[in-house]
Amino acid sequence: MKRRDFLAAGASGAASLALVPAPWARFGRASWMLVPMDDAQTDHLKAYGLAFRAIERGLKCEWLLNYRGGAFLVPGDAETRRDATLAGVAAAPIDDGALTQVRAEIQLGNMDAVPLEKAPKVAVYQPKNVAPWDDAVTMVLNYAGIRFEKVWDPEVLSEGLKTFDWLHLHHEDFTGQYSKFYLNYAGAPWLADMVQRSQAAARQFGFPNVPAAKQAVAREIRDFVERGGFLFAMCTATETLDLALASEGVDIAAAYADGTPMDPDAAAKLRWDLALAFQGARLETSPTTPVFSDIDGHQVNSADRRQPLGSFTLFNFSAKIDPVATMLVQCHRQVIPDFYGLTTSFARRTLKPGVVVLADEPGTPWVKYIHGERGQGTWTFYGGHDPEDPQHQIGDAPTDLSLHPHSPGYRLILNNVLFPAAKKKELKT
Amino acid sequence: MTRALAALALVLAGAPLAAPLAAQQPAGDPMARAYDLERRGSFAAAADGYRAALARRPAEIGALLGLERVLASLGKSAELVQVVPAALRAAPTATPVLSLAMRAWWRAGQPDSARAMAERWSAIVPEDEAPWRELGNLAIADRNRVAAKAAFLEARRRIGRPDLLAAELAQLAGAERDFATATREWLLALRALPGYRSAALAGLGVAPEESRPAVLKELGAAGTPEAERMAGELLARWGDPVGGLRRFAAALPADDSAAIEALRLFYEQLRGRTGPDVRRAQAMVLEQLAARSTGPQRARYQLDAAQAYGDAGDRAASRRLLGALAADTSAPPTLTSGATSTLIMLLVEEGKPDEAAAKLREVGAYAIDPEERAALARRIALGWGLRGDFAEADSALADDESVDGLAALGRLRLYRGDVASAVALFQAAGPYAGTRAEATARTQLFALLQPLEADSLPALGAALLALDRGDTTAAVRELGALAATLPPAKGGAEVRLLAGRVERGRGRHAEAEQQFRAAAADGVPATAPWAELELARTLVELGRPKEAETQLEHLILTYPQSALVPQARRELDEIRGAIPRT
Repeated sequence: MKRRDFLAAGASGAASLALVPAPWARFGRASWMLVPMDDAQTDHLKAYGLAFRAIERGLKCEWLLNYRGGAFLVPGDAETRRDATLAGVAAAPIDDGALTQVRAEIQLGNMDAVPLEKAPKVAVYQPKNVAPWDDAVTMVLNYAGIRFEKVWDPEVLSEGLKTFDWLHLHHEDFTGQYSKFYLNYAGAPWLADMVQRSQAAARQFGFPNVPAAKQAVAREIRDFVERGGFLFAMCTATETLDLALASEGVDIAAAYADGTPMDPDAAAKLRWDLALAFQGARLETSPTTPVFSDIDGHQVNSADRRQPLGSFTLFNFSAKIDPVATMLVQCHRQVIPDFYGLTTSFARRTLKPGVVVLADEPGTPWVKYIHGERGQGTWTFYGGHDPEDPQHQIGDAPTDLSLHPHSPGYRLILNNVLFPAAKKKELKT
Repeated sequence: MTRALAALALVLAGAPLAAPLAAQQPAGDPMARAYDLERRGSFAAAADGYRAALARRPAEIGALLGLERVLASLGKSAELVQVVPAALRAAPTATPVLSLAMRAWWRAGQPDSARAMAERWSAIVPEDEAPWRELGNLAIADRNRVAAKAAFLEARRRIGRPDLLAAELAQLAGAERDFATATREWLLALRALPGYRSAALAGLGVAPEESRPAVLKELGAAGTPEAERMAGELLARWGDPVGGLRRFAAALPADDSAAIEALRLFYEQLRGRTGPDVRRAQAMVLEQLAARSTGPQRARYQLDAAQAYGDAGDRAASRRLLGALAADTSAPPTLTSGATSTLIMLLVEEGKPDEAAAKLREVGAYAIDPEERAALARRIALGWGLRGDFAEADSALADDESVDGLAALGRLRLYRGDVASAVALFQAAGPYAGTRAEATARTQLFALLQPLEADSLPALGAALLALDRGDTTAAVRELGALAATLPPAKGGAEVRLLAGRVERGRGRHAEAEQQFRAAAADGVPATAPWAELELARTLVELGRPKEAETQLEHLILTYPQSALVPQARRELDEIRGAIPRT
């Protein structure tokens, strides 16, 4: 379901919470289960998968925003009960009386209940080769048991995104400079493979070089959002997507990527109106420094500018007035330890007006988690690479999420997967 | 004097002292102020102070270095170039200024200017590689390996020495995965400075499998003992410790003390690693060390070598060394007693309890600690039991009233099928008797015995005896026959589970599957979850993950309260690819 559709639908979430039986009857007389998402939950990450699969089966669930850490109300049918047991997700049957009390409590506080009705069709943008770093979203989707399909340049350039509701980007460099690892990892087999595949894809679609192909991919992704898609990006995909979009007609790639050096006046020529989230950033000119611009507040790969990790704080939003932002920050922890990525955070001064900050590190000039709208769709950017491996290095083993079933950092990713399933009421702002 | 007056007196007494100290601090000296500000962390103000000092004396090296430090802390290193032209005009040939100018230009993103500084510096000290090393190191810090390599090679070309900066070039070649070049460079570096050995081994040790033949070829081509020893150490690192040791030992120095030092270094490399090959290589090193040592040290090496050979499964070599050591009257008594104990255990493991008992009798009453002697006697008794000589075994344990003795006696009774006595003795021994492994094995055995109703089951005894003798074929046959005679809830399911485990352990997965399926189908609550978990593992090993998935789901859903459920969920996640395989 596209964002506009559910905006227009106007089915009031509040109505479903009313203490009258009518809307409740929509769901029939089936028994329900409450999936707590506070510290009583035994596996926070798999709980999202439980709700997602229930929706996939055509059942209706509810997301109880700000209630017990963002609890889920799922049908108590045999299949869902079986699923919860298999996944090790804490879910307790709830009778009508208790549910009425829950709804009364939600009505009185900064809480809301959002119906979840249609599972979004999920795509993850991922190259075909196995990169020597892990991908947080792929890992958490696999762990939670949420099905997705992989797409890459050929699919995106062939209008393949049209069949998806939700697209995830992780550690991709849309400037076409191979994450600027080209010189530092020269000779590494994984890099050679990445270069060869990227060049082959560019040739296949008639582009003169990889930066040009990646820029076209970036445009397709922006069009996907404008048509009503949901975009979630992490790590360096956030920053480079916007740089690629803003550099229409400007050479921002190093000579090794496109055969010509970067335009020395590139920064002044960037068209930020074409980008989603950022503006006014300065470009990193060194081809050997794996840094793209000063959008990233932490500059992890710059010896002079690298900033230490702190922790970031999720903002509180009004659940009844601003349910989208509220959904995106549902978590059982408000302060979360930060984690590096090639892009770790976003400098406040580079944010466009209208960008909603979902989390920041108080007292610092950067933010961690942002959200915005473009056309009929939305985008969410989350800095950093792996929430449970704060210093993830190239070649490190992937994170075993069964050791982090309560990870608050990973929960934020899953909020994004589930929020497109929400049947949202008309925004009051 | 009151306390207030005393304090006042101290203040007054301090006053004349403070004044001269303050006078020593030149109030108008910007350097002193800048240092102080830097020390207090006021980097921006400190930078202003250093700039003020440089305005007076543009080539003041303390001020230049101070400014470099504080600008780095402020993340403004590029601003250092602003003071460089004046410094160079004031001191055009001062190498510290040239060095700093080079760094400033580089960090300002002007590598050509940095190189020009290296040229100027090099013209002043043409025989010194320092300018090019510094330029190369700047490039490395910037991860620009191409520029770094060019700088290092420039030093060689200009100075005309092909071994200059070899360690730096070796590391660069390694980073570029050119391990043949890295090897040649490390050999050059080692010739000039043997202290690079550890760095060279670490640098070459990470070579991927496909690059290793090239590394070994280069080392072989060098034709020096040092290169051969490096080849040996690298082979050991790459998973061939015995082959590595052979190559290493063939190139040992003739001098004993140098050889001992080299062997110790090799041994250190093997420390912390496990596996029979590693233990064998360690044993060989220790034996070589023993051959080059004298007195107690020699005996210690022999004993350690014997234990290592034993761990590696080479009982003959172990026995040879232990026998020699036990008979060595010149060796320290503590070592000979240790050797004797180990030898006795070895003899028992080889199925020679009579020889072991004779050896124990030979040893004087005070040569072995009484507790150790009792433990050896229990081992010998179990050895007799394994041979079927139960009367001898019982007699050996007759006076042993320790919990370990009760546990050993329980096992002997079990071999004879006396289930009731075995259970009573195991209960009396408690859960902690013996080593951790023995205690765990006994607990598992106890789980097998508990559901049995019969007081005597000779078939079970025969099966367990065969199992402990290593005759798994007979053990499985006996267990299968026994299971057919027992009701599932009265031990039949447990016996099948054990049979399945034995089959799986010997790689007969199809047979293991049958046993586990039968044990699971019995539905005995204490046994079925284990049987289902083992069945799922077997199915994975048989390449049937979908069936394994179904089995694990069945386990979780059927026995949700079982302690095995978390493990089953984990293995389910692994099969589904939800988490990395462990």
